[in-house]
Amino acid sequence: MNKKEIFKGSLRILRRNKMRTFFMVLGIIIGIASLSLTFTIGKGFQKQISERAKKYLGSNGLIIRAEKMKLDGKPVNSDLISTLTIEDLKAVASEVPSVSMFDPVQFLSNREVISGNRNVSTTIKGSSVNGQFVWNRGVIKGEYFNEGEELNASRVALIGSGIAVTLFGTSDPIGAQIRIGDVPFVVKGVLEPKGVDPHGNDLDLDVVVPITTMMKRMMNVDYIIMAKIILNDENRMDEAVSGITAVLNERHHLTENGKSDFSIITPTFVKEKIKEMTKVFSVFLPSISLIALLAAGIVIIVLMFMSVNERISEIGLRKAVGARSKDVLFQFMTEVSITSLIGGIIGMTFGLACFKVFGLFMNFPFYVPWQILVFGVLLPVLVGIAAGIIPARKAARYNPVEALR
Amino acid sequence: MIQLKNVSRTYSNNGQKPVHALKSVNLVISKGEFVAIVGPSGSGKSSMMNILGMLDRPSEGEYYFENKEVNSLSEDELASIRNKKIGFVFQKFHLLPKTTALENVELPLLYSERRNIRELAMEALKQVGLTDRVAHHANELSGGQQQRVAIARALVNEPDIIFADEPTGNLDFASGQEIINIFQTLNKAGKTIILITHDQTVAACAKRTIRIHDGNVSED
Repeated sequence: MNKKEIFKGSLRILRRNKMRTFFMVLGIIIGIASLSLTFTIGKGFQKQISERAKKYLGSNGLIIRAEKMKLDGKPVNSDLISTLTIEDLKAVASEVPSVSMFDPVQFLSNREVISGNRNVSTTIKGSSVNGQFVWNRGVIKGEYFNEGEELNASRVALIGSGIAVTLFGTSDPIGAQIRIGDVPFVVKGVLEPKGVDPHGNDLDLDVVVPITTMMKRMMNVDYIIMAKIILNDENRMDEAVSGITAVLNERHHLTENGKSDFSIITPTFVKEKIKEMTKVFSVFLPSISLIALLAAGIVIIVLMFMSVNERISEIGLRKAVGARSKDVLFQFMTEVSITSLIGGIIGMTFGLACFKVFGLFMNFPFYVPWQILVFGVLLPVLVGIAAGIIPARKAARYNPVEALR
Repeated sequence: MIQLKNVSRTYSNNGQKPVHALKSVNLVISKGEFVAIVGPSGSGKSSMMNILGMLDRPSEGEYYFENKEVNSLSEDELASIRNKKIGFVFQKFHLLPKTTALENVELPLLYSERRNIRELAMEALKQVGLTDRVAHHANELSGGQQQRVAIARALVNEPDIIFADEPTGNLDFASGQEIINIFQTLNKAGKTIILITHDQTVAACAKRTIRIHDGNVSED
């Protein structure tokens, strides 16, 4: 058998039956395009959140988050309080050996920041001197506040680059006076631009003040809302988590099985959470496009049966001039494989093009996951072969005498 | 070259009375003969051709082709013999539609080990005088031209024997005559020709006539 010539013949047959070929290809195109699009979006979404989370947490960082609670006798809408203190963190740092550094954090959201006649509403963060190392975020202009300023609860502030532009335009903000609510501050530095955090907040709109300043001068509280801890060895994460839990349980007089007043967020936990959150995009939507592919397979079966029925006398002739059953099978399988492959490649290209356009609107980085090549090449051929085998076997089994009649 | 020993062919449609298309036929055809098999429609001549051409197998009896018993050969071996040793010409031409004359003639070569298929197909078309029509699609040719393409297709693998089933049945007299002339020329060149027809004038062109009636064979 001359496979090359039979292959060329298959191409000719597909070209000469444009309608039939078109509809066979179309089903595959729709199926593979939607699969590629939903899959890349799902993956892209997951990747984007993961990257933000990685920037936020790092591979050797973990977050202790205090459970907020309402104090008896206070109105429901007042600020909630927690039980986590800086003293807790100091104890953790001294008793858990793998902890190398910590940064206590407190927040005030929706605070007015005013400079002259300009103002902006944003979140104010209280942080320690360690914050610059723990969050890996220094200043691009001016200086970070120092230990003395933290100790004295000085009224110094670091502002995000977005805030700097809003309040000061092109003029130099360093040394300028701003007010946060009623409290006057001196701008000491402009924070390194960081973009968006995993929760979707723009970090370049941050204003950071010493934690002590925030607690004493702005909130008058003795607790913090969360802390980030850096380990000296990322492989000792589990050990650190149990160490921290033990220290905090003891200090907060909690029992092992009782209600906890804090939670610990590790990179593994975040990864799992993200996977769970994005499941609808990475698993559910692509599964729906598989249904489209199934429909494409059914279209192929039907059109192949039509093709075989139309070409019975051709099959008879081929057998009369020496085609074996397997040659006829090969011919029909070649035809369906070529069709599916073309559909797959067009569908994949189309899906990726849609993803690119989607990315432009959603600010997604464009990339091609390797699985897409499997979807675009292997999967359509598998669908084609699975759908084509029954009609092709029917064709191959024709008895030449009956087929020629 | 061909020997039938007590060959019968019975078609049994389930439930219905079996049809005896051939009844214990004995026949010998030697290399280089030009044989006409004649008979009215339903006489069993098509069954005869299908068995001789190895498109079908006898229900009973033995068929020796070049001293090989055909019943002992597999389907694939039969396909290979049809491809190398036998050429078919049909009443309805059986050319592939939307396909050029040249590609139609190339068809048997796709299933052979030959590689220079274009040259061989051109050579076969030259033998039937159609070199000026190679790029035409089958449906753009006249009936006579289509049958000449079909003969070229039967010749292209240089078979020893050509079976023609009512080759002039769909043609006007002049075209039919041309086709018969081609067969006569081929026979002179040494090919064995077996012609199935119900037309006495066509049969008269053969050197030997075998009559078939009700599945029984009688010779002139």
